Amino acid sequence: MSETLLEVKDLTIEIATRRGPATVVDGIDLHVGKGETLGIVGESGCGKSLTMLSLLKLLPNKIRVAGGSAMFGGRDLLTLNNKELRAIRGGRIGFVFQDPMTSLNPVMRIGDQLAEPLIHHRAMSKAAARQRAGELLKLVGIPGAEQRLDAYPHELSGGMRQRVMIAIGLACDPDLLIADEPTTALDVTIQAQIVDLVKGLRQRLGMSVVWITHDLALIAGLADRICVLYAGTVVEDAPVDQLFAEPAHPYTRGLLASIPRMGAPDSARLSSIGGTPPEPGRRPAGCPFAPRCPLAEDVCRTTVPALAPLRGEATPHRVACHVANRVMEAA
Amino acid sequence: MSSAPLLAVADDPPVSLWRDAWGRLIRNRLAVAGLVMVLVLAFAAAFGPMLTPYDFLSQNLDARNAGPSLVHLFGTDDLGRDVFSRVLYGTRTAFVVAIVVTALAVTIGVTLGATAGFFGGLFDRIIMWFTDMTMSVPNLLLVVVINASLKAPLSQWMETQYLATLNPFFRETIWIDFLLVFGSMALIAWPPYARLVRAQVLSIRSRPYITAARALGLTNRIILTRYVVPNAIGPLIVSVSAGLGTAMVLESAFSFLGVGVNPPTPSWGNMISDGLRVWQHYPHLLAVPAIVLGLATVAFSFLGDGLNDALNPRGSK
Ligand SMILES: Nc1ncnc2c1ncn2[C@@H]1O[C@H](COP(=O)(O)OP(=O)(O)O)[C@@H](O)[C@H]1O
Ligand SMILES: [Mg+2]
Repeated sequence: MSETLLEVKDLTIEIATRRGPATVVDGIDLHVGKGETLGIVGESGCGKSLTMLSLLKLLPNKIRVAGGSAMFGGRDLLTLNNKELRAIRGGRIGFVFQDPMTSLNPVMRIGDQLAEPLIHHRAMSKAAARQRAGELLKLVGIPGAEQRLDAYPHELSGGMRQRVMIAIGLACDPDLLIADEPTTALDVTIQAQIVDLVKGLRQRLGMSVVWITHDLALIAGLADRICVLYAGTVVEDAPVDQLFAEPAHPYTRGLLASIPRMGAPDSARLSSIGGTPPEPGRRPAGCPFAPRCPLAEDVCRTTVPALAPLRGEATPHRVACHVANRVMEAA
Repeated sequence: MSSAPLLAVADDPPVSLWRDAWGRLIRNRLAVAGLVMVLVLAFAAAFGPMLTPYDFLSQNLDARNAGPSLVHLFGTDDLGRDVFSRVLYGTRTAFVVAIVVTALAVTIGVTLGATAGFFGGLFDRIIMWFTDMTMSVPNLLLVVVINASLKAPLSQWMETQYLATLNPFFRETIWIDFLLVFGSMALIAWPPYARLVRAQVLSIRSRPYITAARALGLTNRIILTRYVVPNAIGPLIVSVSAGLGTAMVLESAFSFLGVGVNPPTPSWGNMISDGLRVWQHYPHLLAVPAIVLGLATVAFSFLGDGLNDALNPRGSK
């Protein structure tokens, strides 16, 4: 993972509220190497989707990027004009959304939805685009691909629809595929199939993947590296083995502890971290996790911890915590 | 990796959206009644004038104001013209006016409404201000004013053009009638379409598949025409169906006021206004066109309601 494909620095996103702008994403740093798969983990509402949407200027009304940069292929995505953005969207960065039920155009045939980016980005003829659409459906493992081209989304199951979404995301051979909780809306067995599918495709197509999830266990076998997000900040960033071997941030440890084990009751899942994340606009002065943190000290409540290599070593394992090293020793 | 469970098709049977809607439509009795009536009227408009033995203009001064009989199914009028033929021809007029006017109004309304809703902001406010303005002017006043102010200058202009170019096109004052009737009716009819489409687009704009389409790098034009408008079309079809009926009533009202299609071209409105003068003596001259107009409106409104239910499966379940 030598060469960097995407490098996000100090990304800050604000929501306009009646009481003025509220920060929801607070100085996120991320990087994705060529061919690397980055898992982004964090509980619902921590800013995962907004972070990814902001890269392609897809933020909803009233939400805006307040600062930072996102270098991709030598250019800052956040400064591109609409035309340049359109070339990147769907062309060099593919997006797969969370809900396959609502993310496909309900009145357009699958084949046409697949053909649209090909016609747009590759200037393909309709016939060529249709043929490629059939190949793409085959690529994502849809049985009877050719016949499915004329199907409407509501004629497919959720898992099939998500495969179609992935095929659309892959249509133009992107350098980067961003998948925003692509399996959250699906059954557990189908979740695993989709993960396997992307795993296979990633190698075959040599692309980088950013896979967003709130389920650490799901991407353990998929990601090369994992970024843990909490309340719009990166609290820990480490190669997957190191993260599982020695999770440093109390929040990460809480997440790991809440992965259900065989036979453990479901309620054990949520009980491990008490409290809720701060609402946007009511962020605490210091570490955003401090109010929920069992190890919080005075310094945590006053000073925001920086994301720094663990134990100060030259390691890719970085953590934003004042007491992280002590946590490690306690383990 | 086994993909067997993925083969299971979701709960819906593989029926396309439109075929689904069609199935629901033909199960609705009122809708079918409306559809049949509309088809009969459309058939009459298309072929009716060829099927009657009489010309709508041919006068038979020996058989004036005759009541219904086997010779003249709906009787004759004060000039001895066959009322049945005139009603049939009037159906054609009604359809032509309704279709042209609705097409114009829908084009204006969809274009303005969709752009306003999709782009929002200042654009939206200006268009909607314009729409509200148009809506707040009383319809008939607008039409009368347009006719009164434009007809004379337009005729004048045509006259001058004719004298200058000797092009026979400029001698046909019928074009002025058409322009003014169609134009002013379309001017009245477009704002509801604009509002409807704008509201639809506003709700569709925030759906995930629109964000997904934007994430594909598609242009606004493609997103608007292929993703937004087709999803907004259901309620529009419903409203167009009802709008066709309304346009027919409007055309009659205009003819009645003398600002519509000019005699001797038969229109239901002309016939009603003629019939109204003599209805005490010859009630059939009022009754026939009035009943036909009433049936047409009812037919379109039944069909519109039926389409509404058919195209909103969730609303009717
Ligand atoms: N359209 C929106 N309007 C207002 N607030 C929003 C909107 N979308 C997201 N938010 C807020 O921004 C925060 C981050 O949202 P999001 O990035 O969607 O979280 P995640 O994807 O991690 O679940 C949440 O607190 C959410 O309430
Ligand atoms: Mg999300």
